[in-house]
Amino acid sequence: MDQNNTGRDLGDIDALTASFERLGYVADRALVTAVYLLLQLQKPLLIEGHAGVGKTELAKVLASLLETELIRLQCYEGLDVNSAVYEWNYQKQLLAIKVQEGSARTVEEKEAYIFGSDFLLMRPLLRSILSEEAAPVLLVDEIDRADEAFEAFLLELLSDFQISIPELGTIRAKRTPYVILTSNSTRELSDALKRRCLYHWIDYPSLEKEMKIVRARLPGIDEQLSSQAVRFVHAVRELEPAKPPGVAETLDLSRALLSLKKETLDEQAVEETLGCVLKSSEDFRRVRAEGIEKLLPRTEE
Amino acid sequence: MPIPKMTLNENEQPDLCSAPNDLPGAIVRFCRFARRNGLDAGPGETISCLRVLRSARLTDLEAVKYGLKSILCSSKEECDLFEKIFETFWGPGGRCSVSAARDRPRAELSRQTGRRILNRGQGASPAVRRGGSAAADCGRETWPYRDFGEDALSRVLDRRGQEEDEPGEAVSGASATERLGKTDFSEVPQADLDELERISIRLLRRMSYRVSRKLKAGRTRDRVDLRRTLRLSISHGGEPIELRYKRRKRERPKLVLLLDVSDSMNLYSLFLLKFAYALSRHVREVESFIFSTGLQKISGLMRDRRLSDALEKLSEIKTGWSGGTRIGDSIREFNRLYARQLLSRTTVFIILSDGWDTGEPEVLVTELRIIKPRVKKVIWLNPLLGVAGYEPITRAMNAALPYLDVFAPAHNLESLLELEKHLCMMNF
Repeated sequence: MDQNNTGRDLGDIDALTASFERLGYVADRALVTAVYLLLQLQKPLLIEGHAGVGKTELAKVLASLLETELIRLQCYEGLDVNSAVYEWNYQKQLLAIKVQEGSARTVEEKEAYIFGSDFLLMRPLLRSILSEEAAPVLLVDEIDRADEAFEAFLLELLSDFQISIPELGTIRAKRTPYVILTSNSTRELSDALKRRCLYHWIDYPSLEKEMKIVRARLPGIDEQLSSQAVRFVHAVRELEPAKPPGVAETLDLSRALLSLKKETLDEQAVEETLGCVLKSSEDFRRVRAEGIEKLLPRTEE
Repeated sequence: MPIPKMTLNENEQPDLCSAPNDLPGAIVRFCRFARRNGLDAGPGETISCLRVLRSARLTDLEAVKYGLKSILCSSKEECDLFEKIFETFWGPGGRCSVSAARDRPRAELSRQTGRRILNRGQGASPAVRRGGSAAADCGRETWPYRDFGEDALSRVLDRRGQEEDEPGEAVSGASATERLGKTDFSEVPQADLDELERISIRLLRRMSYRVSRKLKAGRTRDRVDLRRTLRLSISHGGEPIELRYKRRKRERPKLVLLLDVSDSMNLYSLFLLKFAYALSRHVREVESFIFSTGLQKISGLMRDRRLSDALEKLSEIKTGWSGGTRIGDSIREFNRLYARQLLSRTTVFIILSDGWDTGEPEVLVTELRIIKPRVKKVIWLNPLLGVAGYEPITRAMNAALPYLDVFAPAHNLESLLELEKHLCMMNF
């Protein structure tokens, strides 16, 4: 496809782990191996996992690691080619037609003009392919939210990295983007897409790992406090609420505790910050019924 | 897609390592072993695995493991299964090394030195001898196969055709799905209940998703509203620069589910409730009711985030769980209370019942006659229809037949999934 796209040499897996850690992203070896293969084989990487375990963050970190652009496509139900790939700037085209009305140009010339690149609105996928400088990181976020037709389209794109625009012809990727897809597994993705991708499942981190993450992201936090927060979130997760708190929620809680200038996580502090951890009234009821004080002793172990 | 059975088939012997110096061969055998144990490791994946090992500088066993894992797995369950499979095949004390040792003198040597299959591949290489300690932990052990070139790969690719034909496939996930999918809900062995539940939730979820997509796909796209666009263009000197759109008022199709939970349906009710739950979670505008002698709306419960919670709350409802059945009266109650609000030309009315009615069939007919012209379709799913030799001779069933658009079985998973066909055939 292209010659000069071998990627920056980030060294071996250990070096990659260290680089991730330097950027405040704590990754285990399985994940780093998957990223390593993504860089080496230039295969898309599909990451699944619960909400808030750092799927999107990974793409951001990878982009800054590679010192390249991060292009993000947020998927949603009804996402279509017009908002994912390209769209013509109709208003501008209409104006251009009007302006050209008196000119001596032939109809063909006029047409070629208004379907020129000046009138093309580039959406994320096209931008990722047209990138000139360095291979960008393309993050296709929450692919499970897009519909199957779009998934099929994406599949085609991911295999050739080229896009056909009827008016302009086929555009090939100058530099193959590094593609990361994330999914909350709200629906089954097609087998074809899964086959095309490397796969990695991010689970909730262990206590130790999560504490490491909190300390990496919030260097100023008191050791005791962060440990309490992490243990509390773990206790909540064990209750299996409808929306289990992810690492993002742990970080939110820790940040909230910091800005409220709390020194320990007691019952009152939990009451004040519970909204950082739980996101549905059902879960609030559940946790209150369980008794916050019951969740707390475990945090003081 | 075959759903892998998530247990390792203990009787499955990993293949022996027929030739040393043959990493590609070993990988091919590993993939076949993985396939027989339920992973989706076809030839394409095998080749990807080989490419991974060749083009990436994977030098220790752990990295190899994660590399293969990212290729061969595509869900969390499969990831967990992979760990077991990998351990069994390559791990210390794995069957592979033991059985290989029994069969091959060369392997015998490596068994004595405590090395396992990985290193045996290049038994003579200095790297192995150097690292020939007995400690064979699955950690950062050096991966002895450093380079194997195109020729080794192409050898594998050439041989692939023959290997595919070999017999000895173990029970795969696909057959489990197939087997349980066809089993009548009332006859599922106790041991298979968990498995069935897992499969059914997954399949039903997938079906519901597809149904919800299909139901929505029919709605019209936004179109340019020329009238308002032109009106607006006056301010731009007659040029339609800003476009105005019109959209058609959305008519959402609704599903109305009536579930029979009377005594005679006992064996099926639980599965049908799960079915209703799966539909409610993924298709908007599903209204569910249970009935036996009376009617009870359960749509709210069905939107509970967790099935177990929903079922628990359901069990607390007093109304006629496992009592007699009065289908006609229940539907009359529906008509009286909900018909006006829920029925429209886009509604699909689904009754899940065996048709054993202790009430008068005339009542049922009268009520169905009211419903029929007001909805898109009336579907009756009957678990008994799956029983060989069943004929709809109960009086109620017989009377109802002329008013049904679809009369279909609902005794096993497969028949429930058929519903998708009936729903998607309609042009919403």
